[in-house]
Amino acid sequence: MLAIKIWNYLRGYVIIRIEGLTLEKFLNLVAKENIYIWDIRRIDYTIVEAKVSIEGFKSLRNIVRKVKCKVYAYEKRGLPFLMGKMKKRKMLGIGFIIFLGIIFFLTSFIWEIEILGNEKIDDTKIKNILKEENIYEGVLRYKIDEDNAKNVLLEKINTFSFVSIDIEGTKLIVEVKEQDIPPENISDDTPCNIVADKKGIIKKVIAKNGKSVVKEGDVVNKGQILITGIIKNDRFEGEMLVHAEGEVYAVTRYTHTVEEPIEKSIKEETGNSYEHREYKFGKKIIKFGSADIPFKEYIEEVEENNVFTIEPFNFPISIITHKYKEVEVKKVKQNVDSLKESCQVLAVKEINKVLPEDSKIVSKDVKYIENEDKLTTIVIIEVMENIGKKQIITY
Amino acid sequence: MKEKIKDMKLNMSEALELPKDIVMDLPKITVIGNIELSLLNHKGIVEYTQNVIRINTNSGVVKITGEELVIKTILTEEIIVTGLIDNIEFLS
Repeated sequence: MLAIKIWNYLRGYVIIRIEGLTLEKFLNLVAKENIYIWDIRRIDYTIVEAKVSIEGFKSLRNIVRKVKCKVYAYEKRGLPFLMGKMKKRKMLGIGFIIFLGIIFFLTSFIWEIEILGNEKIDDTKIKNILKEENIYEGVLRYKIDEDNAKNVLLEKINTFSFVSIDIEGTKLIVEVKEQDIPPENISDDTPCNIVADKKGIIKKVIAKNGKSVVKEGDVVNKGQILITGIIKNDRFEGEMLVHAEGEVYAVTRYTHTVEEPIEKSIKEETGNSYEHREYKFGKKIIKFGSADIPFKEYIEEVEENNVFTIEPFNFPISIITHKYKEVEVKKVKQNVDSLKESCQVLAVKEINKVLPEDSKIVSKDVKYIENEDKLTTIVIIEVMENIGKKQIITY
Repeated sequence: MKEKIKDMKLNMSEALELPKDIVMDLPKITVIGNIELSLLNHKGIVEYTQNVIRINTNSGVVKITGEELVIKTILTEEIIVTGLIDNIEFLS
């Protein structure tokens, strides 16, 4: 039945009212003429209401002449009449077409470039490379050559092991994977020196090739030559350049300082809370209610709820609920001994992060400085490590 | 003469097991509950009001009484009536 109703609506129909005395005769004639008429309803003794299609309504005229009754269109329904109305309001139609056009036009540009996965290389650097390949915010998305841009990125930044470029709507997503920066490979026959990578006290020098210029106990600074590749020979005049190789072990020092107040303020919830809502449309936020928080000290909790999310469409409308919990600030004096311990552990942990893998810990020194309200912990760790680094001899 | 033809038709349909509504052009009424009635082989509406519909057929006039009766469709062969049907009656 619904299908028939929709069909009738699409074709358009007229609700007619027939006025007369011999309405039964009218109905019989309609049936005889094969005019489709439906939902016949008696309104009054002399009036009958019925629905009839547009073509049927036109062919009713002959019957009206025969029966001598009055037929008039009471209401017009359906798509054809709606279209007729639209013809009168041309500007509405034009506006709709312009609206569709604008949406189509705006969605054919890239409005945002998102770069994921890069740690060492800056977003701006990647963006600049993309810009050279004519990919930037505001470019037509049909013009983008993804494969070419991908190759260029891989070529220009050699630390990228993987690059993918995807267009999602108006967003361009560049996903990269970085590999560790490879050590500068110096081939065996290019002359080079071995220089200090960091400051330290020399413990042991193993020169496999070249001549060591430092000895045990020397204090070297960063960049100082440890094993030189320039060998001056007494027998020859001039210098011989070799590829220096070897390991230089030195004691280096790592320090880390942790400052911690002895008196600590602890926030305790009192149980009072205050809620405040905001509505977010895209990036615009509309606030409702007053934003005055009746507490002096409070913790803020923010919860964001996406209201209209029907996968895979995500409408940028959401409700943000701010919950303010009243807190009471209490000052607590901490146990100095346990504080010392925890600070030390923390500092050692920090140092461990920067220690090279092949280093050996030689000594560890911890200093505490206790002020009125502050405890400063200094941890000094001395390790033995290889500080040699190859450097090409340049003139 | 007419009566004779009618009798012959009845006998024939009985002998050959043909449906009588086709052979004798008799009305066929289908009622769904008390809300819908369809009548095939009608010979025109005699009276139509909200409470009474009288339809002419070969078996006489069928009188349907009820409340808020609506003629859903009317075709050359069939009439469908909806509404609350109280009574279906043959007047001959």
